[in-house]
Amino acid sequence: MKLLARYNRVNLVTTIVVMFITGIIYYQAISFILTSQKDKDLKVEEMEVFDYVKQNHTLPQTFQSDDQQITFSEAKPGSVKREFIDTRYLEKVDKDDDDEKPSQKLLPRYESGRGLISSVTVGGKYYKILIVESKVETEYLIRMIFFITIGVILLLLIILIITNRLILSRLWSPFYGLMNQLRTFNITDAQDIAKTETNIDEFRELNEAVAGMASKAKHDYKDLKTFTENASHELLTPIAVINSKLDTLIQTQNFSERQSKLLNDLYSAVSRLNRLNQSLLLLVKIENRLLHERQMINLRTIIEDMIVQFEEIFLDKRLTVTCNLADKEINASQYLVEILLSNLIGNATRHNHPDGKIFIALTGKSLMIKNTGESVPLPEEKIFTRFHKSLTSEGSGLGLTISRQICENFGFSLNYTFGAGYHTFTIDF
Amino acid sequence: MNILIIEDEEGLRESIEEYFSEAGNICETASDYQSAMAKINLYSYDCILLDITLPGGNGINILKKLKEKNHPDGVLIISAKNSLDDRIEGLNLGADDYLVKPFHLSELKARVTAIIRRKTFNGSNLLVFNEIAIDLLAKEVKVDNTLVKLTRKEYALLIYFIANKGKVISKNAIAEHLWGDGIDMANNFDFIYSHIKNIRKKLVEAGCHDYIQAAYGMGYKFAEQ
Repeated sequence: MKLLARYNRVNLVTTIVVMFITGIIYYQAISFILTSQKDKDLKVEEMEVFDYVKQNHTLPQTFQSDDQQITFSEAKPGSVKREFIDTRYLEKVDKDDDDEKPSQKLLPRYESGRGLISSVTVGGKYYKILIVESKVETEYLIRMIFFITIGVILLLLIILIITNRLILSRLWSPFYGLMNQLRTFNITDAQDIAKTETNIDEFRELNEAVAGMASKAKHDYKDLKTFTENASHELLTPIAVINSKLDTLIQTQNFSERQSKLLNDLYSAVSRLNRLNQSLLLLVKIENRLLHERQMINLRTIIEDMIVQFEEIFLDKRLTVTCNLADKEINASQYLVEILLSNLIGNATRHNHPDGKIFIALTGKSLMIKNTGESVPLPEEKIFTRFHKSLTSEGSGLGLTISRQICENFGFSLNYTFGAGYHTFTIDF
Repeated sequence: MNILIIEDEEGLRESIEEYFSEAGNICETASDYQSAMAKINLYSYDCILLDITLPGGNGINILKKLKEKNHPDGVLIISAKNSLDDRIEGLNLGADDYLVKPFHLSELKARVTAIIRRKTFNGSNLLVFNEIAIDLLAKEVKVDNTLVKLTRKEYALLIYFIANKGKVISKNAIAEHLWGDGIDMANNFDFIYSHIKNIRKKLVEAGCHDYIQAAYGMGYKFAEQ
C-alpha cells in the first residue's frame, strides 16, 4: 500500500468520524435549544389558559392557529401529571386554503409536534389540557443542518482528493525520482545518482545518502575491477616467458618419451592458464563496456565460417553438425559475437560424446544450439556463475559467464534447457 | 635478417633472441626506451619487435619517431594489451603487425618472416624452398612445377612450417595458429596428426621430399634431412 493511500485512508476515516460526531453533537444541541424554546412557548400558552380560567371561571374556547392546538378533556381528578411530550401534530386542512388541492382535502397531515399535558379545575370539574405545537420548522432547521454537514463532508473529501492528486504527488515526486534512479542504477555504468531538486529536508537527506552509497559502491567495484585487470595483466608477462622458454626448450635435442610427455603437459597447463587469464581480462572489458565498436554483422556468415574453421575438430570426434540458418543481421561487436559463438559451439563440441550430434538453428528471433552429451540436465542456475564447471571440463569455467555477459551487453537473453537427451542453449534477440 | 628486439622482460627477450639467432640473422636487443631510441637512430633494421610498455617511455612514441623519420623498418608490436583500440592505434601509426602476449615463438617468427618478405621482395610474391614454390598472391603451391592442391589450412600450415624451418613447433602452436582461440574446444590435439599426414601425402605424391618430421610426440619439425 502506498504511503499516500495509507495516509489518505486514515485521514479520511478520522475526518468522517469527527464530522459525524460533530454532526451528532450539533444536532443534539440545536434540538435541545429548539425544544426548550418550544417548551417555553407551551408554558406561556398554559399560563394564558390558567389566567383565562382564573378570570372567567370557564374554559377558554379551543382555537386553532397555524401551529398550535389546544384540547380539553374531562379527567378523573388528580390523574393528570404535568409533563412535556413528543407527540404528533395533526394539521387540519383548511377548506378555503385547499381549494386548489382537492386531493389533499380529506387527508389530514401529521407532523411531529411538541406537547404539554397539564390540568385545570374549572367549576369543580377536572380537565386535562393538551397543548400541541408543530415542530415542522424545528425539523426543517435540523434537516438543513444535517445536509450542510453532509455537504461539508463531501466538500472535504473532494478537497482531500484534489490535494492528494495535485499537491501530495508533487510533494513526493523527488522520492519517486530517486526510486527510479535506484531501479535503473547499474554499478558498471558511469552515470551517478543525480541530485534531485527539493527543499524538503528528508528527501534531500535521502538523496545525499543514496548518492553517497552509490558512489562508494561504484568506487569499490572499480577498485576490484582494476585489481582484476592489473593482476591479469601482470600475469601475462610471466605466462609469456614460460611459453617462450618452453618453445626454446623443445628446440634442444633428444627428449625421452617421458620428458616429451611432461613437456606436453606443461604446454597444455600454460595454455589453460593463458585462456583463463584472457577470459578474466575479457570479462572485465565487457563489464567496462570497453568493446563498443558495433557494426551490422550477419550471424549466418559468422556461424558458417566457424563451422568450416572447426571442421577437423568435429571430424575428430565424429560429430554430426546440422545447421538450419536463416539470414540474421545484428548490430553488435564482431569480436564479441565471435567469442560468444565460439564459446557456445565449443561447449557443444567439448561436452559431446563421440558420434554425437549438434544442431544449430538460426531464425530471425533466436539462435539455438543443441547438442547431445551427458544424459543429465545441467544445474541451470549454476552454469552461468563464474568458475562453475563440470568435473570433466577442462575449460576455464568462465565461458558461459562471458557468453551471458556478451548477450546482456547487446540486450539479448541466453537460456539453457534440457530435453530428450539434448542440451540446448538459446539466444533470444 | 637484421632484427631489433625491444622488450624489457629479460626472459622473453632472451628466448626471442635465441629463437631468431641462426645463420644469416643478426639480432640486437634493447631493454628500455632510451637504448631503443639510440639504436633506432643509429642503425636500420629489417624488422623491429616493439613492446609497448617500456621502462622510461611508451613504445608507441618509438613507433611515431620511426615513422616521422621515414625509416623503412618493419615494425611488429608485441603487447600485453589485447585491446582493440591499442591494436588499431598501433596499426594506424604504421606498425606492420600486432601480436598479443603470450605468444608462441613460432608464431612470432612466422609474422616477422611475413613482414620482412613483404618489405624486401617488393613485387615478388614467390616463396621458394628447394623444390617447393609458393605463389603468395595466388595462394598456389607447386612442387617442381606440379600444382599441389592444398586446403586453406594446409596452405597456411606449409607457410608456417617454412617460416620456422629447422625448428620444432609444438602441437599447441600449430593448433593455435590454424584454429585460433577456438582451439580449446578440442579435448586433445590428436586430430593434428591426420592433418599433417594429409599435407605430407600430398607433397610427397607431387614428388617433394618429406621435410616434415614428428618430434618426440610434442610437435613437428620442417627441415632438410
